[in-house]
Amino acid sequence: MLKTKDLSYWYQDASQPLFKDVNLEFEVGQSYAILGHSGTGKTTFLSLIAGLDRPKDGEIFLGDRSLKKIGLTNYRRHDVAIVFQAYNLFTYMSPLDNLLTAMAITNAEHAGDKAYAGQILRDLGIGEDLITRNVQHLSGGQQQRVAIARTMACDAKLVVADEPTGNLDEDNTNAVIAQFQKIAHDQQKCVIIVTHEPDVAAQCDHQYRLENKQFTQLA
Amino acid sequence: MNFCKRAWLNVWAKKGRSILLILVSAAILMFVLAGLLIRSAAIKATNQAKADVGATVTLSANRQAAFKQMRKSSSSSSSTSSRPKLTLTPVKLSDATKIAKLSNVGSYNVTSTTSANAKSYDTVSTSTGMGGSNSGGPGGMKSGSSSSGDTQIDGVTATSLTSDFSDKQSKIVKGRGITASDKNTNHVVIEKELASQNNLSVGDTMTFKQTTGSKTTVKVKIVGIYKASSSSSSTAGPMSTDPSNTVYTSYTLANSIKGSKYAGTADSVTFNVTTPSKVSSVKKAGNQLISTSKYTLSTDDASYQTVKASMSSVESFANKIVWLVAIAGTIILALIVILMIRERRFEIGVLLSLGEARWKIVAQFFTEMIMVLVVALAIAGAGGKFVGNQLGSQLVSQTATTTQTTSTTSGQPGGGNQGGGQPGGQSGHTGGPGSSSNSTTKADTKLAITVSAVDLAELGGFGLAITFLSIMIASGGILRLEPRKVLIS
Repeated sequence: MLKTKDLSYWYQDASQPLFKDVNLEFEVGQSYAILGHSGTGKTTFLSLIAGLDRPKDGEIFLGDRSLKKIGLTNYRRHDVAIVFQAYNLFTYMSPLDNLLTAMAITNAEHAGDKAYAGQILRDLGIGEDLITRNVQHLSGGQQQRVAIARTMACDAKLVVADEPTGNLDEDNTNAVIAQFQKIAHDQQKCVIIVTHEPDVAAQCDHQYRLENKQFTQLA
Repeated sequence: MNFCKRAWLNVWAKKGRSILLILVSAAILMFVLAGLLIRSAAIKATNQAKADVGATVTLSANRQAAFKQMRKSSSSSSSTSSRPKLTLTPVKLSDATKIAKLSNVGSYNVTSTTSANAKSYDTVSTSTGMGGSNSGGPGGMKSGSSSSGDTQIDGVTATSLTSDFSDKQSKIVKGRGITASDKNTNHVVIEKELASQNNLSVGDTMTFKQTTGSKTTVKVKIVGIYKASSSSSSTAGPMSTDPSNTVYTSYTLANSIKGSKYAGTADSVTFNVTTPSKVSSVKKAGNQLISTSKYTLSTDDASYQTVKASMSSVESFANKIVWLVAIAGTIILALIVILMIRERRFEIGVLLSLGEARWKIVAQFFTEMIMVLVVALAIAGAGGKFVGNQLGSQLVSQTATTTQTTSTTSGQPGGGNQGGGQPGGQSGHTGGPGSSSNSTTKADTKLAITVSAVDLAELGGFGLAITFLSIMIASGGILRLEPRKVLIS
């Protein structure tokens, strides 16, 4: 589904890349974990495959079409959904409005369908009383679940998550990872999670470690 | 139109911030509106004042040419015993009719002034407290050798056309004034004091005696009684007849009292120019119709020039206010919007990460500001009129004071008619019927501040322009970045 070809990225000095000539493939119905220490370039890699930035060298293909051809804005709108460590919800909206807004922007199939959005939230444990409450009044775990619900409400086949459990306790962490697994397996989406926690990575179908500018698949 | 919904949700959720923005925008718009209102009112008032104040062109005898002629004849004359005489040619009414037909000339007033002696009544005496009283006597300069009577007779086309009546220094209290229909009649309008002293009323008759020629008596009928203001009455000098002894008649009657040779003539004719800015062209065209060696056309557009100068100053100041406030408002609003949008970098990043089009993000901010602007506009519309009124009246009073001071120190002494040497013994009392006055200027320069739909639309346009500029300045930098950089920073 998603393929990187000789992907490289550096900030100022091309001789000191964060990673170089990365060739990876990601498939639908699978979950992937990218492990690595802080500063190794995991998030940067995620940004590139999420279409938030452009690679310095190499290309990314969605199917057989390069992201350059698709256009990053189009790609973000239709093909990828992102979950951030800081949740990145619209703080002036309720969970329901957050979902409806995302659905409208991405032209999702169920755009405008309040019942559909509400059902996703309820499935993720956001009770009826919380659905219309401002998201700032929700706990961290609840906000992260809303962020996950937002990716589910959109029709994107690729879901990328940057340290989605970074701010959560153990129970919430397990619940969130289980949810990602469900998205990958039940909804047949490709889920790529960047994490520094081996326990979280271990729950995914595939694990890669970014070390010395290269990705290594873990057994 | 998802961005509209987002805009509404944002404005509603952040009520405190929205209210503050409304207040700041309303304050800025209020000053812009005040400037716009003063400017449009100044333009309107200038046009109105130009039309109301008007300007006049007066046809009268050419005194300079007459003096020249007098000096010439005295130097050529061998006789030293006889004093040279100043001979002024009375204005021919046929010339006046020709000028009246010129374009931009409205109504005109024929003035023929003379004096007569009271026969059937007593004139009002003025005690000067400076060595006796006088009940008439010569008023000011006189021409020729004509003797003067105790009653001043102001022959006019209509009393309403004289500056004393149009400026409300004199007003009819009983009966009616002299009108054009009184031509060739013996109708007169007398002063209230003279009427009460002699127990005269409308419908009564009174008799004059000519001061020259056969000294025949003239019986006249009173059709109206006027009251002269105290200020007007007090202008009489020690040697002039009391203003209460001034009788208004048709100029034809005044001419017949002067003598038969004055038929079809006048001391002066004052033409009202309908478009004051055309005074010069009327004068130029008029000069081609008259013999300039005998007559002269003088213009009086001082009031018009005063109003024009005053209003131009207000207009230019209002323009400066509009631009200053607009520029200052743009800067203030832009800074506020920049701060507001910088605070929302994160939200912009999220929207970009969801694939939202950049123009829709700008449109969301713009929509939010329009919502704020609509409420601010309503507040400014209500408050702008008040601010405009205060500012406008302050401005006008300051400008009027400045203009008046300037005209007092450097202007010509206004008011007096050109009566000194008019034929037929015209007396030189201050502010004769043919004279124009500057006293209307102050009243005409009031600014009528009203908020019209056009003003509000113009203000809305200003507001939109300011808002759009502010948002473009504020969001331009952020929207050029890749979403990752926005989110990281």
